[in-house]
Amino acid sequence: MRRWRLWLLMAPALALLLAIFAAPLMHYLWLSTQAQSVLTGLKPVPIGAQQWLRLWNDGRFWQDTWQTLRFSAASVSLEMLLGLAVALLLHQPLCGRSLLRTISLLPWALPTTVMALGWRWIFNDPYGPINQLLAVLGLGAMPFLSNPNVTWLAAVGADTWKTTPFVALLLLAGLQTIPSDLYEAAALEGATAWQSLRRITLPLLTPYLLIAVLFRLAQALGVFDLIQVLTGGGPAGSTESLALYAYLNAMRFLDFGYSATLLLGSFAILLLLCGTAALVWRWSSRLQGELR
Amino acid sequence: MIPPRALRRWALLLVALVGSLSLGLWGLATERVEPVSVLMPAPFADATAELVSAFNRSHPRIALRVTRGPLETEAVSDLAISSLLLGESSYDLLLMDVSWTPKYAAAGWLEPLDAWLGPDALADLAPGADLGNAFGGQLWRFPLLADMGLLYWRTDLMEAPPRTPAELVAISRRLQREGRVPWGYVWQGKQYEGLSCVVLELLRGFGGHWLVDNEPQLDSPAAIAATGWLQDLVRQGITPAAVGNMGEPETLQLFQAGDAAFMRNWPYAMAELNKPGSPLRGKVAFTTMVSEEGEPHAATQGSWGFSLLAGSTHKAAAVEVLRFLTSADAQKQLNLRWGYTPTRLSVFEDPELLAANPALGDLQQALAAAVLRPLSPVYAQLSDLLYREVNTSITGDQPASTAMRQLQLNSERLLRSSGGEG
Repeated sequence: MRRWRLWLLMAPALALLLAIFAAPLMHYLWLSTQAQSVLTGLKPVPIGAQQWLRLWNDGRFWQDTWQTLRFSAASVSLEMLLGLAVALLLHQPLCGRSLLRTISLLPWALPTTVMALGWRWIFNDPYGPINQLLAVLGLGAMPFLSNPNVTWLAAVGADTWKTTPFVALLLLAGLQTIPSDLYEAAALEGATAWQSLRRITLPLLTPYLLIAVLFRLAQALGVFDLIQVLTGGGPAGSTESLALYAYLNAMRFLDFGYSATLLLGSFAILLLLCGTAALVWRWSSRLQGELR
Repeated sequence: MIPPRALRRWALLLVALVGSLSLGLWGLATERVEPVSVLMPAPFADATAELVSAFNRSHPRIALRVTRGPLETEAVSDLAISSLLLGESSYDLLLMDVSWTPKYAAAGWLEPLDAWLGPDALADLAPGADLGNAFGGQLWRFPLLADMGLLYWRTDLMEAPPRTPAELVAISRRLQREGRVPWGYVWQGKQYEGLSCVVLELLRGFGGHWLVDNEPQLDSPAAIAATGWLQDLVRQGITPAAVGNMGEPETLQLFQAGDAAFMRNWPYAMAELNKPGSPLRGKVAFTTMVSEEGEPHAATQGSWGFSLLAGSTHKAAAVEVLRFLTSADAQKQLNLRWGYTPTRLSVFEDPELLAANPALGDLQQALAAAVLRPLSPVYAQLSDLLYREVNTSITGDQPASTAMRQLQLNSERLLRSSGGEG
């Protein structure tokens, strides 16, 4: 087939991608060179690279970057571990397995705002169930949502509860693609359960693990609704994420130029992370190929 | 006898005539009914429902429709802004919080009301309710309901409320020592707008100011003393550490459970506390915030009012709606049925209302002590800086003086970069 025909056939898809991804991105890039805020009467005024300088010097941007990365790293790793465990469990031929699978999906099916409200009550000091239990045991109340060193972990806990089922579902799908005769052969050779997990399950599950990490990382780095409802970014700004900061600038401060710059800044960080993950994947699969 | 062909011609003419006539009439009829759409937070949409149907009955040429917005103040603003950003606004009137007005006006979304309401528009407003409606020399909002910060106290635990910060601490300590309440005083300490309202009252009560002539005064000795006092309340266990994540509902919950002697909240809390089945029914009174000797007992003003949107295509009809809903009769009904605080002097002095609601006089006094948050298009940023820094100092170890010096620098920088216009 001639080359131009290939392009012709790809044109609709390319146009769609351009319209959905490239066009808004270009608009944001343009917006980040403008002062468009309540002070300019919402009219764009070109100011060159000033917004980017402001971003570079904005301690709050770097603090929020660190906090977003910290939150993402902690919640995604926890979710991968727990998700794998749940997937392995649900893969076993247990009685009532389909019922268990359905139940384990429930947290994922809840809207984030609703579940965040629930967790706000669970963490309530002093009337929430956890603190009531601590009081019955004669222990002091735990300041889940009012201690800057603790609150981000509470947010990680709520996020893990909500999205572990998603990871488990992806990994369960992966587990079902592994032929059972591999395990039978390994068992015949005298392999222990641990050995077959390490030598068969994990290597064959790697693509699924990576996809789950990528999906979850992209979502966690953009975390907004959970934080907004659970803490509003506090205490002491310790749970503010990049998305929350960008939202504040756009919707509360009506500073659209800087909000666009913030979004592009976090987009660059996301790109860097996903690019690294993709490189690691390629590198590790090449390594595996050589080993074989 | 008329030939069939002519008959057909006549019939055709008749049909055309009747058709165009009815079309014309229908057009006239629809032209005369002007749709007016109002966005309100859910509680106010519920409270005004009866007034709205009364308006529609008495004004057949206007079809008033209320959109029931979200419950939370800032969520309503988000909804309004999303719609305004799209250019063509789907609303004619907006029920606005006092702190949004300069921002919305500067963004060019509002229509000045001076020409519509005339020079005497504010004449009937009670002292305190007249604040925060004008900005930059023009009137942008007409207040429907007044709201102000109050200090609630337990009449079963003490004879009289404290009037100074030291008295509040002393009474709290005594009651806590005697084991009558686990906590002394609860207030809104979460990182959000409510904390700015709490701080503003104390700033004034300690003799300080937020801004004077657009210059921040947040590292003044009075400002440091005010935030230092809040920090000490938490450190000394008079206020629970959980205050760092408490908004209005959380403080009301703790106070209503009988676990605190004092609470800072808005007037709505009184109705909640006196509901049948409430453990504190008849055991609560309110007054204004404590202050140092010689300084004012300040109440942060938090009124709600209607603004006319610049993009509205039914401005005259919308103004008629505004006049009707903010009239003395409407405010009276809102107070009788729903307990909302009026803004008109004539309503405060209405003998029937005073008989039904004896606390009205106290509310009027508190309203007269109202202080306004800075009127600035960048108020949202100023407040964000303030509540973030104060929340940091009450949930951490940083001394209040360090926090306030940092806050002063950040606020100065913000106002300088916004062109000093403020």
